[in-house]
Amino acid sequence: MEQKNWTGKIGKVLFRAFCWFYAGISLYPVIWLIFYSFKNNSEIFVTNPFGVPTILHWENYQKAWSQYNVPMYFTNSLIVSIITVILTIILALLFSYATARMQWKGRNTAKIYMSLGMFIPIQAILIPVAKLVNGLGLDSTRTGLILVYTAINLSFATLVYYGSLKALPVELEEAACMDGANIFVCFFRIIVPLVKPATATLVIYIFLNAWNEFNLANVLVVQERLKTLPLGLLFLQGAFTTDWGAMGATMVIASLPTIILYCIFSKKVEGAMTIGGAVKG
Amino acid sequence: MKKFYSNKLAIVLFAFPALLVFTVMVFYPIVQAFVKSFYEWNGLGSGTFIGFDNYTKLFGDTVFKLSNKNALIFALVITVFQMTLASIFALVVSNKKVKGRNFLRVAYFIPVVLSVTVVCQLWLAILNADTGLLNAIFKALGINYEQNWLSDRHHAIYVIAFVNAWQWMGYQFALMMAGIKSIPNDYYEAARIDGASTLQAHSKVTIPLLKETYKICLTISLTGGVKAFTEMFIMTKGGPGNATYTLTYLMYKAAFREYRYGYGMASASILVIQCLVIILVINWLFRDKEDRRESRWSKKTGQVK
Amino acid sequence: MKRIMAFAMSIILCLFMFIGCSSKTEDETTPDTTSPSETTTESATETLPEGVLSNEEATLSIYAQYSDDDTKVPYDYAVEQLKTAYPNVTLNLEVQAQDDGQKLMTYAATGNLPDIYQVALAQIENFKQSGNIMVLNDVAEATGFKDKVFESAQNILYNEDGNIYAFPYAGNEYVMWYYNKAIFEKYNVEVPKTFDELLTAIDTFNSNGITPMAIFGSEGWITSAMFDVLATRWDAGGIAKLDNGEGSATEDAYVNAAKMMNTLVKAGMFQGSAPTTNYDQASQMFLNGEAAMFLNGQWYMTDATTALGQDVDWMYYPSYDEASYEAGKTAWSGGGAAAGYAVNPDSKHAQLAAEVAAFLSEKYCEAKVMYRGTPLVALDVDVEPQTEFPAMMQKLQADLPGITSITKFDWHLSNATFKTALEDQTKYLLVKDYTPEEVIKELDNSLN
Repeated sequence: MEQKNWTGKIGKVLFRAFCWFYAGISLYPVIWLIFYSFKNNSEIFVTNPFGVPTILHWENYQKAWSQYNVPMYFTNSLIVSIITVILTIILALLFSYATARMQWKGRNTAKIYMSLGMFIPIQAILIPVAKLVNGLGLDSTRTGLILVYTAINLSFATLVYYGSLKALPVELEEAACMDGANIFVCFFRIIVPLVKPATATLVIYIFLNAWNEFNLANVLVVQERLKTLPLGLLFLQGAFTTDWGAMGATMVIASLPTIILYCIFSKKVEGAMTIGGAVKG
Repeated sequence: MKKFYSNKLAIVLFAFPALLVFTVMVFYPIVQAFVKSFYEWNGLGSGTFIGFDNYTKLFGDTVFKLSNKNALIFALVITVFQMTLASIFALVVSNKKVKGRNFLRVAYFIPVVLSVTVVCQLWLAILNADTGLLNAIFKALGINYEQNWLSDRHHAIYVIAFVNAWQWMGYQFALMMAGIKSIPNDYYEAARIDGASTLQAHSKVTIPLLKETYKICLTISLTGGVKAFTEMFIMTKGGPGNATYTLTYLMYKAAFREYRYGYGMASASILVIQCLVIILVINWLFRDKEDRRESRWSKKTGQVK
Repeated sequence: MKRIMAFAMSIILCLFMFIGCSSKTEDETTPDTTSPSETTTESATETLPEGVLSNEEATLSIYAQYSDDDTKVPYDYAVEQLKTAYPNVTLNLEVQAQDDGQKLMTYAATGNLPDIYQVALAQIENFKQSGNIMVLNDVAEATGFKDKVFESAQNILYNEDGNIYAFPYAGNEYVMWYYNKAIFEKYNVEVPKTFDELLTAIDTFNSNGITPMAIFGSEGWITSAMFDVLATRWDAGGIAKLDNGEGSATEDAYVNAAKMMNTLVKAGMFQGSAPTTNYDQASQMFLNGEAAMFLNGQWYMTDATTALGQDVDWMYYPSYDEASYEAGKTAWSGGGAAAGYAVNPDSKHAQLAAEVAAFLSEKYCEAKVMYRGTPLVALDVDVEPQTEFPAMMQKLQADLPGITSITKFDWHLSNATFKTALEDQTKYLLVKDYTPEEVIKELDNSLN
């Protein structure tokens, strides 16, 4: 008995150590990226790929900043990402409610049909999508890009919403139904708050997807004034040589805000999740 | 209750907008791509109809077989890695007694927030055979296990799959956290009163209740593995040679490097069919719970009537 | 109330569609339709001031590389010159993406091609089938572009079908086998003439912790070039011969080349991480003195001289014996192809765009001679280099007249299937356990 307790304790310590070690590995890329953004090609590849930069190459940032209109690209990314998130969340939740709860023929088929978007490699539909956006006259607008992003994220969002709706007990809605509320009231008053945990994770996921997307933006955004941040990398990548330090700086400019935002909001996300749980419990 | 859930107007209003956007923006292009898989087409102009020729050629292509094998490996590696670690970490972090849980929660998710480009560049540096961190660690520890991690003909695919699994584990972790959060606390208390240990409580209560979440995670991992592309594209360019080709990479190569768009689309079509089969199998595997719910549901509606 | 909200949501969606249509009108890159192109050119020709070629007013969109000194310097110079010659033409630059031509292809498919765009040969072959590229024969004649092309660069102007589809600026270029003289001297290594000597040198370097040759194996073009260098030792036609459909991959030259590359890889000629090494990484290895040799185009001379000064030089490619080494000195890997600035035939200002494209190409040549230290351009331009050409370039220039045969760079291959197979398979050769037989088999498949 004594013996067992002892090994159990060691196991516990080792397990905790592993958890913290893994967390360290997960955080390392941020530090590495910041170091990277202050190095030149020689340090990055040969002399010092992992350590603290020996000389701080601030000019990387200067270069990244001067190549293109960073604030404008940034704003564009923000607009596109936020609208994509809102649109996807609304459409996906409505749709998932219809397939998870409502009674109609073909709801299962509709659900699987919707999940098709998860499998299709973007490159396969690049040209058809570009033709379509062009045909709809959306080729010099943000709308085209936003609608495509929304459509692509819908598959995943409906899957997640469907899962969390299925896990909710029907009783809550039944109570509302007894009170004589109609389905719309029931949806907005009961369902929307209940799926907050799923919404919180989806918001982050969809936002990041839209924020980091390159392939579609590369092909669909023609105009300078509509370009999004990932396209800024094009200014630094040559046919042969690439300015990796400046690339690093660009990536810091692009991803640091999302990391900071995530750190700030993750507390809120946690809160949102707990409320969802509380209402239900 | 039945009337409540079969409000026709509501069904249309709820389901239609999403269906419309999806059909126009994604499904219509997919159909076009599918149609082109029956053509010999260079991506421009009109092309010539050649029936199933692209598919016949595809099935005889050695790279096609290799791509399928790679997809299978990729899908298995990321499924096992992500679902195991995500479950463990989600249970740890959701335990209120664990110190520093807020920090851990943020840390595990960080790789998801970074763009794939950053993550791939990092692992390229770590896995570099000459200057990489991993080989340096083995050397420092005196273990003779230095490798050409990304340029081994037979093992590179596992390494790439690991990088993908590592980056997206955080997302499954978040999904499981959300799932655990929505399990009412009294369920645990009931289990506790029965004298179950933490581990037992989790395996008896938490994990079965997370069935829907697991279904989602499994779907993401498997389909994500089958259609893997970006990591190969950035880290190995499908190489060494074509050792890390997947169906998506094969499609990309055919369509944009060889101007054989029709052939590429045949490869993409096979990919979609494979994913569909996976979804159907997963739905079938997880069917019992839904069936139960369904029967319970009809019982309830009967009562209301 | 809630019902209204639900309605509103579905309406929002439809609205989005319409907003899209309406906001298209504020498109700023839409070419200016108010300037009647034909009439202005006619009337303006008489009164044009000195140095002005046309008064026509237009905004032209252009898709070009613009990311490093080798592409920025010529572009900026050309745009500066354009202001004088075409004062009323504004260029709207879109920076070329390193995306295997996905973007250009999509533009072509959607009818959104820019007025002027840079193309490689394989793209020309693809675009000419679908009429997305303008035939420039008349413009090349009228602008005098044709007459300025070097006699030795005629292969760069004309497509195989005899037409001109793009205005080239790069001349015939060469794959150079660079080496670090200081390292060679330090370890007492003679410049290898034969593969046996090369293998001895590889051993010496390896035992001293020096990478014999750095290669950026993540890019298929350089492994193809290495293969080509070796193949030309047996058959001067190299990969160009296969691309032209004049030979078979099973011929001795290619089998020997694959076997030799395999031998060199096994002997440890390249760094261990070769298959995933990118250009900058390999280049840094050479420039930092960690690698003794480096394979790259002659355009690298300026960078190499800046970093290594007198220590860097190039050598003739080693061969299987000394006789063939001597004989092979005039057979080079490299070349040129009909590629450069092309014009969208559906452009509203197609004629003007073609003239501007010709003008830009000419100015590129000037800038490359003046500021980039290379005389290897397509046109005979009358400018003096700002600084003397590097010593390595002068040495190459002395050799140029004697060159009897050139092949092709990977990006000048016209058979896209063969090109892709060549890139993948030669990259595969960097892996020790991939056999030359497999390479030859796959290459042969791609040609049939």
